[in-house]
Amino acid sequence: MIPIKFDSVSRSYGDKLAVDRVSLSVDAGTVHCLLGPNGAGKTTLLRLMAGLVAPTGGTIEILGGDPFSKHIRSRIGWVPSVDRSFYMRISGVENLLFFARQYGRRKRDASSHARKLLEMVGLSESADLAVGGYSHGMTKRLAVARALIVDGPLYLVDEATHDLDIEGSAEVRAMFREKANGGATVVWSTHRLTELNGLVDTVTVLDRGMTRFDGDLDEMLSMSDRPVYRVQLRKPGGVVHPDEVNRSLSGVASVLGGNNRDMSIELNPDSVLGTVLRRLLESGFDIHDCYPETGLVERAMEARLRT
Amino acid sequence: MTRRFSAVTEVDRLLAFARRDFKIRWSYRTAFIGDILNLFAQVVMFAFIGLMIDPAVLPEYGGQEPSYLGFAAIGIALGAFIQLGMGRVSTAIRTEQLMGTLEPLFMTPTRSTSLQVGMAIYDFIYVPLRTALLLAAMVAFLDVGVLASGILPTMLLIVFFVPFVWGLGTLAAAAILTFKRGGAGLGLAALLLNITSGAYFPLDLLPDWMQTIANLNPIAVAMEASREALLGGEGWGAVVPHLAFLFVAAMITLVLGWAAVRMALRREHRLGTLGAY
Repeated sequence: MIPIKFDSVSRSYGDKLAVDRVSLSVDAGTVHCLLGPNGAGKTTLLRLMAGLVAPTGGTIEILGGDPFSKHIRSRIGWVPSVDRSFYMRISGVENLLFFARQYGRRKRDASSHARKLLEMVGLSESADLAVGGYSHGMTKRLAVARALIVDGPLYLVDEATHDLDIEGSAEVRAMFREKANGGATVVWSTHRLTELNGLVDTVTVLDRGMTRFDGDLDEMLSMSDRPVYRVQLRKPGGVVHPDEVNRSLSGVASVLGGNNRDMSIELNPDSVLGTVLRRLLESGFDIHDCYPETGLVERAMEARLRT
Repeated sequence: MTRRFSAVTEVDRLLAFARRDFKIRWSYRTAFIGDILNLFAQVVMFAFIGLMIDPAVLPEYGGQEPSYLGFAAIGIALGAFIQLGMGRVSTAIRTEQLMGTLEPLFMTPTRSTSLQVGMAIYDFIYVPLRTALLLAAMVAFLDVGVLASGILPTMLLIVFFVPFVWGLGTLAAAAILTFKRGGAGLGLAALLLNITSGAYFPLDLLPDWMQTIANLNPIAVAMEASREALLGGEGWGAVVPHLAFLFVAAMITLVLGWAAVRMALRREHRLGTLGAY
C-alpha cells in the first residue's frame, strides 16, 4: 500500500487556485518534503492529506482510504503551522493528557506517556506551566509532542522547526527521521532549504499551487545551476575592474555582476573553485573572502521554480 | 467485547473533557467563586422582587396559591437546564474555533457526538449541582413552598426535557459551525421560545396568539408541569401526561440537530473552513 496517493488534485478557494492538478505518491519509510515559497500551496496540500479540506478536483488516497474517514484521520500525527492550537489556561502536560485520552489512551497510561513525550521534546521543566506562558518555540515543541501521541504510520508536519533554535530544530528533525527509519511516512512542509540535507528522501517543489519538481532529493540537486561564488578582491596599488577579472578567468569562470571590490563569479561546467582561485592569484589579485553565493539546494530550487 | 471496550474508551474521553474544563474554569478562580456568590445574590434579589408581587396575579397550582419566589425558583431551575442544553455546545464550538483547537480535536478518533457531549459534560455535572444548591438555599432560608413529593417526578420530567433543548442546542451548534457567529434566525426562535416559556411570569399575561404558541412550546409545558408537581402537590399526575409530548419533541429536535451538524461538518470540510472564525 502506498501511504499517500494524489491524482491530479486541485483545490480552489473562490477564484484562487491554491493547488493545481497535483499528482504525487509517497512511499512508506520516507520523509517527503513539500518545498516552496510562501503561498505555494504547501499547507493546503497538507490539509488535503489530513482530511481537513476536500479537493475540488482529482482523487486522494491516504493510508489506503479516504482521508475524510475518522478511522484514517485518527492514524495521522499532525503538526499544524499555526501557533494557537492548545488550551492556553492549562499546562502542557494537561493538554497532552487530554489529547492522549482522546486518542484512546487510558488516564494513567496517558499521563506517563504525556510526560515521556514532553521529555522527548525538551519540555520536562515546563510541563506544569500554563501553555499561555510558553514561547512560540515551546508551543511548537508541544505540537510535535502531540503529533507523536499517534504512534502511527503517517506524520504531517507543517513548518515544525520554524520557531525553534538550531539545536531544537535538529532534534525535531532527528525525531521524525527516526520515525521514517522505523517505517512511518513523514511529509515535511517547509520553505527553509537548510532543513533538507540529512532529513528528506524525496521532494515536491511547489509554486503557485503547481508542481515544479517531484522526485529524489539527489535528482533535484543534480539539476542545480552552475555554482556561483561571491568573491572579494583587492589589487595592491590599483583598482579591480570586473572586465580585468573576467579576462583573467577566461575559460574557467565568468563575472556575473558586482562592483570593483565584491563580485559574483559563476564557474564554468567543468571548472572547480581551486582553478578559479589560482587564476585570480596568478593575475595579481588578493583574495579577501570567498563563499558560495547560494547553497546547492537553494540553487536547485530556484532552477526548478524558473522552469 | 470490542463494543464494551469501545464504550469504556468513549466514557474515558468524556471524563477527559470534564477534567480539562474543570482545570480551565479553576484557573479563573475569582470567576469560579464569583459564580457561586452570584447564586446567592440571585436568591436575595428574587426574595425582594417577591415582596413586590401580589401572589393573586399568579396561577394556582393544585388549588394552592404559590409565592412568587416559588414560582420563579422553578423558572430559574429549568432555565439553567435550558441555557445549558441550548447554548453550551454552540458556545464551546465557538471557543474551540477561536482557540484553534477545533481542528486538532477533529483529528482525534473521538466521534462527533462524543465531542458534542464532551464539550458540555462539565456543565452537565456542574449546572445541576449549582441549581440544587440554589434551590436548597431558597428552601432553607426563604418561603418557597416546594413540596418534596414533586422532586422525583420533576427529575423524570427533566430527563425527558433536556434532550429537547439539547436538540435545539445542536441546531445552534450547526449554525455556529456554518455561520461562525450563529444565525440571527435561530436567535429569534430561541427568544420566542423563552418569552412563551413562562419562566418568570405567568403565561396568562401573554396575548392570546402567544398563549397558543406557548401551549405547543415544550419548555412551557415542562415549566407548568414542574410547578404543578412541586408547588401544587400533584406529583406524578402532573408529569406523566406530558412525557410522550416531550419525547416526540425531543426526537424531532435531536434528529434535526444531528442532521444539521452532519451537514455543517461536511460543508466545512468541503470549504476547508472548519477552524475558521
